[in-house]
Amino acid sequence: MVPSLNYIKTSNDNWPDSQAKRLHKKFINKHWKQVHVEEQKPITDLNPQNRFNLQARDIAWDIPSVSHLLKRTVTGPNIEEINAFINNGMETSIQGLLADQEPPSPPGAWVNEELPDWSSLSSDERQAIIQAYYNRMRVFQKWWAKRMMNGGLNITEVMTLFWHSYFASAYSKVFYPQAMYQQNNIFRTLCMGNFKDLLRQVTFGPAMMIWLDISGSRKEAPNENFARELMELFTLGVDNYSQSDVVAASHAFTGYVTNGVETNYDFDTMEGWGYWWTDWHDFDDKTFMGQTGPWTGDDIINMLLDRDECAVHICKKLYKWFLYDHVDLDFIDGMADILRSNNYEIKPALEYLFSSEHFYDPTFYGSNVQNPVQLYLGTIKTLKMEEQPFDTNYFTEIQNHLDMILFEPPDVNGWLGYRTWINSNTLPLRKAMICALINHESPFGSFGNYLNIPSVAQSLVNDNDDTYHIIQIIDNLVLLFLGIEANETLSEQLLNIALDGAEPYDWNISLPAYHAQWSRFEDLLMYMIRLPEFQLS
Amino acid sequence: MKRRDFIKSSLALYALGSYLPTALLGSKNRFSYRNSNIDSDRIVILIKMNGGNDGLNTLIPYQNSSYYQQRPAIAIPSEQSLPITDTLAFHPALENWQTFFEQQKLAIIQGVGYADGNLSHFRSSDIWDTGSNEDIELTTGWLGRLLELEYPGFPDYAPEHPLAIQYNSANLLEFKTETSNTGLYLYDPDTMYSIISGNYIDNLNSDIPETFGGDELAFIRELDHMSFNYSQIISEAAQNAPNTIMNYPDTNIGQQFRITARLIAGGLTTPFYRFYQNGYDTHVEQLYSHEQLLSNLSDALNVFFDEMDALELLDRIIIVTTSEFGRRVYENASEGTDHGTSAPVFIFGSNLNGGVFGDDPDLTNLDDNGNLQVQFDYRQIYTTIMKNWFGLNTNTVDQVFNDNFQTIPFLDEALYSQPKTGPNGFKLNSVYPNPFNSSTMISYTLPKDHSVIIRLLDIRGRVLRVTQLGKQKAGIHLFKLNGRELPSGSYIAQVEIEGSSLTQKIILIK
Repeated sequence: MVPSLNYIKTSNDNWPDSQAKRLHKKFINKHWKQVHVEEQKPITDLNPQNRFNLQARDIAWDIPSVSHLLKRTVTGPNIEEINAFINNGMETSIQGLLADQEPPSPPGAWVNEELPDWSSLSSDERQAIIQAYYNRMRVFQKWWAKRMMNGGLNITEVMTLFWHSYFASAYSKVFYPQAMYQQNNIFRTLCMGNFKDLLRQVTFGPAMMIWLDISGSRKEAPNENFARELMELFTLGVDNYSQSDVVAASHAFTGYVTNGVETNYDFDTMEGWGYWWTDWHDFDDKTFMGQTGPWTGDDIINMLLDRDECAVHICKKLYKWFLYDHVDLDFIDGMADILRSNNYEIKPALEYLFSSEHFYDPTFYGSNVQNPVQLYLGTIKTLKMEEQPFDTNYFTEIQNHLDMILFEPPDVNGWLGYRTWINSNTLPLRKAMICALINHESPFGSFGNYLNIPSVAQSLVNDNDDTYHIIQIIDNLVLLFLGIEANETLSEQLLNIALDGAEPYDWNISLPAYHAQWSRFEDLLMYMIRLPEFQLS
Repeated sequence: MKRRDFIKSSLALYALGSYLPTALLGSKNRFSYRNSNIDSDRIVILIKMNGGNDGLNTLIPYQNSSYYQQRPAIAIPSEQSLPITDTLAFHPALENWQTFFEQQKLAIIQGVGYADGNLSHFRSSDIWDTGSNEDIELTTGWLGRLLELEYPGFPDYAPEHPLAIQYNSANLLEFKTETSNTGLYLYDPDTMYSIISGNYIDNLNSDIPETFGGDELAFIRELDHMSFNYSQIISEAAQNAPNTIMNYPDTNIGQQFRITARLIAGGLTTPFYRFYQNGYDTHVEQLYSHEQLLSNLSDALNVFFDEMDALELLDRIIIVTTSEFGRRVYENASEGTDHGTSAPVFIFGSNLNGGVFGDDPDLTNLDDNGNLQVQFDYRQIYTTIMKNWFGLNTNTVDQVFNDNFQTIPFLDEALYSQPKTGPNGFKLNSVYPNPFNSSTMISYTLPKDHSVIIRLLDIRGRVLRVTQLGKQKAGIHLFKLNGRELPSGSYIAQVEIEGSSLTQKIILIK
């Protein structure tokens, strides 16, 4: 469908207009940091010869391996979930983990709202709209946080977050919540689909067209911003292209425009339309990576996907996100082969990763520094607080102080993860702000949710296990909370905190909530949250 | 009241002498390990203009017709720019910089970059941070390597003050060593100590498995420990700064200057600071955004300059701007500029040689990509700082870059560059605390039995006091230097054995 012409404006026409932009920027600086979706294609049937025979692999499917997999792929797995995976066996479990999900209902009717006519608005009216947009983004963050906590035993929300970091676009520049939603919806819908579809949808979506200045780029002097990042960050990786390739690609990516929610790109004809296309697009021949022709943006994308480096680049990013910061190049070669031979279907590559012996090598246990959003939401889940009213303000504080604002990645390179999460500021705050779930003593703002300690403890008791309850509970807490196993000294210390001189057989799970035993249990939880091991998964 | 009077009156309070951090005065359980020239009282503040600053619209070749031809939409009109030479003028937002230039407090190094400039933000930033050539990828930062060379036991033996403080959340490559990071990130020095100490657990799970997971645990544990050790001294410094500190703009860069001013005024002797100002990647409509960025930077820097000047601390500080690259000479059709190569570096301070170093950019002799040629390698700036600001020897500096770079004469050679290690293992270990209030301890190591003389000199080298200690045995010795009868000021402590003497500049504040 061709969108109505009268909305299309470009940055050169002062989209949405400079006053609104400045108001927005001012507002964003003060408050924010302190789609066009095609019908989903059915997932291509996997070519049998590329399919893994899961049962043939020598992987012990037990508590350590399953909790390793779940800690990396879902938010805050609990004991029941770990047991469910063990009982279902590896093949069924991984299929469930990678199963396509029904698309959720959107966070509000605003996702389809039309654009205001900025030129007819007073300054106060503009301010009101910018405030409303900001409020929507907060709602949107909360909506996503809840989906992460309620994502069950499925990877979709974590993959959505992965693509958000991969194609990192930030609301402070994109301006329209509608555009951010469109992009997020593409990530979620195509998160395990075909990379080529994903790349095209993202590239020609309004958010990316604004974020990397595709919109408004003209043949006379094209803007190189997108062309460079397309190669450096989205397909090939740095050093696999030349500056003349950047220039050629920038000429191909001219003549595409967006008004913020619609674009002049037609997904069927793969061309733009309107005078922007006829007047601004460069129809001349360009020489890109040795091939000369009147290339369009789609041609460039196709040529990039033909390069072997592209699959390697995607697999490296997946490996880094899900397994470890330093990639094993031999493994990446095998994984990239799978991605290529499946014509860029993402799911088979994930299946390869999650069913490889390599993934379950115990050297990787605890080698991931958790991102603060999942660490916080996962702890809420472990503490059985996910059904309580969600404290949006506190979640804002978490995001701002721990340096991970959803819809506001630091730059186009996304979140680098691992040790970049941890510094002398964030480490103590990660401890203090998560301890606030228990002691309500947050350094920022108040946090008032109620923690039902006995029910947390109850959820950590095993079926058919006749060791003392408190011992089972501590073992399970170590499993869920700590990325590295506790040694004997630490285990003893944890037990001492819980018992405070009493004996394990004195500890009684049926004692009422006001009993001193439970305040010691709170001490135990906070002690564990403050351990360096808590940061790791 | 004028801003300057305001500061002067706050100085009266400052001079009462009660502000010295208690941790500096007492002999608390802190590392007292000092043998590098970096432990002078000198400070370098590095500011990253992140995203690639447009040098041509910052320092404008306002008589060059090619500049106006290649930038029809975004050139700064010559009548609006602020001339500093016959050919160069500042962006109109940089009025203060024009003044600094006139006062010889600003050195401009033209055309700074490196050969075969990489146009990727991330790669080029890595190059500047690691101090590598374009075609080499290093995993450690140039400052990480320098500090590791100068403090070989780091982090087990760390100096009493943090070596580097940075205000970017990411774990900066610039300060990275093979196993650790010498840069401490600071957000709010007031709450830092209570949050860190309130959540610190002395570790019990002491065995670290030999796995990748174990590596990460070791990293976090060490950072946890280092933050805990340094948090008290940082918050004490912040608290002990005069509370009438000047009004800094409520911008991100303004807050970085504000916190730093408090720490320096409060007695912290950390030698390196790294600031960040984001937003210089001006691909579209750059006139407005670039102006905002420059004026935010200039406003904040100006307050800091005034304050340090009033506190008589400015002589100890230089401020250096860096950016991963400059921008393209010709504008694009989005009224912005794409990635370029070289750009000017600006260095501010009262203890430097002001002026323009290098030629004006040649806008017609460009490289194959339409970018400016490089005149100075960025490592020449760093080399000049290491050699002339901190007085480090050529050998050390060459080890940092595994190469030799010429200095640029924007700084005179350091006056107090005597080594702290004499021949045959004679060492001046530390003078601690420094600055000091009533007394300070000089620690030195004798390789064998020696007669020792301790002298106290004023800053011009006149001997004020001589103490003959007679023959002492080989080993570590402490000498208590009493400053009760002396006025506040800078002094030099000198320890002499036969044929060799070592000195350390010390500051007495009453």
